Amino acid sequence: MSVFVVVIKELKQFRRDPRSLIMIAMIPLIVMILFGMGYGGEKGKVNIGIVNLDKEALSWTLIDSIMKVKDLNIKAYGNSIEEGRKLIEDGKVSAVIIIPNGFTYGIIKNSSVQLLVIVDESIPTISSMIKSSILYVTYKFQEELSLRAQGNFIEIIYNSVYGPTVTNIEAFTPLVMGIVLQLVPTTLISIAICREKEKGTFEQLIMSPISKFDIIFGKFIAFFIATIANMLITLLVAIYVFNVSIKGSIIDAMLISTLFLIGSLGLGILISVLSRNQLQANQAAIFVFIPALLFSGTFVPIDMLSYFAKIIANLTPMYYFTSAFRDIMIRGVSIWDVSWQTLVLIIYAVLMLTIALKTLKLRVD
Amino acid sequence: MEYAIEISGLTKKFGDFIAVDHLDLKVYKGEIFGLLGPNGAGKTTTIRMLCGLMAPTEGSIKILGYKIPEERNEAIRKIGYMAQRFSLYEDLTVYENMEFYGKLYGLKGSLLRERILKLLDFLELSEFKDRLAGKLSGGMKQRLALGVALIHNPSLLILDEPTAGVDPSLRRAFWNYFRNLNKEGTTILVTTHYMDEAENCDRIGLMSKGKLIAIGSPRELKRKAFGGDVIELKIKGDINSLPLKILETRKENDITIVRAVLNDISKELPNIFNLLDSHNIKLISVEPINISLEEVFIKLLGEIP
Repeated sequence: MSVFVVVIKELKQFRRDPRSLIMIAMIPLIVMILFGMGYGGEKGKVNIGIVNLDKEALSWTLIDSIMKVKDLNIKAYGNSIEEGRKLIEDGKVSAVIIIPNGFTYGIIKNSSVQLLVIVDESIPTISSMIKSSILYVTYKFQEELSLRAQGNFIEIIYNSVYGPTVTNIEAFTPLVMGIVLQLVPTTLISIAICREKEKGTFEQLIMSPISKFDIIFGKFIAFFIATIANMLITLLVAIYVFNVSIKGSIIDAMLISTLFLIGSLGLGILISVLSRNQLQANQAAIFVFIPALLFSGTFVPIDMLSYFAKIIANLTPMYYFTSAFRDIMIRGVSIWDVSWQTLVLIIYAVLMLTIALKTLKLRVD
Repeated sequence: MEYAIEISGLTKKFGDFIAVDHLDLKVYKGEIFGLLGPNGAGKTTTIRMLCGLMAPTEGSIKILGYKIPEERNEAIRKIGYMAQRFSLYEDLTVYENMEFYGKLYGLKGSLLRERILKLLDFLELSEFKDRLAGKLSGGMKQRLALGVALIHNPSLLILDEPTAGVDPSLRRAFWNYFRNLNKEGTTILVTTHYMDEAENCDRIGLMSKGKLIAIGSPRELKRKAFGGDVIELKIKGDINSLPLKILETRKENDITIVRAVLNDISKELPNIFNLLDSHNIKLISVEPINISLEEVFIKLLGEIP
């Protein structure tokens, strides 16, 4: 099989190319460490603020309960809703819980009361964690209370805002995986074919009995073997250096990552087929990376984007990858629960490789 | 089947520029055919179209009986190709380059190893087999490229300027390789712009501006350019009255040196003696002149409007 002859040749060349080896080993480390140092706070502690407008007995009981939640850290208190909002806008806290005037009275009177929660939605993982924590706290609170009062309930009203706060490395792990698994494989393989054209080796290669399939898949398999290390390094650094926990199955996380890696290699090889030289190929690889990075939903939530940007976001495979990976990692779902994203990534990979195969010409025009 | 290569009406246009202009060419099996011409004459374009590396604008090509590009896959297994530019992997060793191509042609195991070692020996590259191709000298790179072209024992060797930038002693060695291969039955199509090398070819095609302006053996071309064989006579006396085709005359003291053209030297030389005798001209010496192909080329090119 000629395709394996190409694989072996590519791996030999790879071994002698220190630049690529460094890229594979160092980029995952550097990106992960930069994000870890830049954004990593104490693990699992999210800062929140409290505005107590009630100042009666039961409001203090509620605050006591909130303090006991290990994921939440009450960092600041405000005297008004405006002050609460400002805490979020300044990036001091990720959420503010507002206990309205008449909270205690309402409960005693057995009428329902409201709790207003302003949540910073910039990092979906953090905001969802806050929401579930608050739900948990109020549930506990009501459970304890039902011994004394009966039939009342607390209604939680959420108010979403977008602040600059970023506190948890875990929220960034899907993005880091996405960056590494798009940038490195795409850039590396993007020169695979056009380098042969630029150096003239392509002319000799296509004078041998080799098929388009052999060239495309020979290179693809070789680069897959080389870049799978990227995925493993990034995951291992996240888990062992930054104590990121994968709630779902690690196998599922690896599967979805491998799928995205295959798509990235497919994209890179297509770029390589279409580029005239290595410089062009590298620029193209970076160029397609930028919208993926911006619109993948981690820096700015998809809901916040303009209609046009939303369309772009929905066209970037990285969006599907980060959302699937986030669900597996944080919500602990299985790969079957993110079958839509998985399907999109499969289609993406197959499409890229097919177009590359169709557009490659065994000519030197 | 007697032709290794049959081309008719082959044309390649790049926009308005016509690189190859309705070229007709037939190369016999078993010959060394040289495609000659200055840079930009269209030699490389012609070769690339022959190999199916470029699509012709017009015309038809048959290589070893296979139509190009339709039956390229069959043809390619019998063609050994050496590109003008070094086109092997500089980050693979000499041996690895040959091994890679050998495997692509389906050779394997001890058969492949023996073939490579034999070629390395033939090309005097054995001691460099583990050196990276990028670290070879220009001449060694060319030898390696020839080795790769020969890995599958091709019956047709297509060589695009194999001796460009190679020192004279290696050029001679290369032509020795070619002649040895040719003796074993390999047809060789070679392009060059070194006119002296072309003397080694059985037949030559002269290309200029995408057209084939002359074709034939070196001797035929020389005769074509000057209308026959050229001789140089040293005489005493006046020669202008004689019925001879004279190219040039010059005088050294009382001796006149004349260059003249005979239709066929082997038949007409005896007549010269009689002619000179009958006119009382004293002949001091006569010798055939070896015209260089360069002169032929310049002469033939000058005749093109």
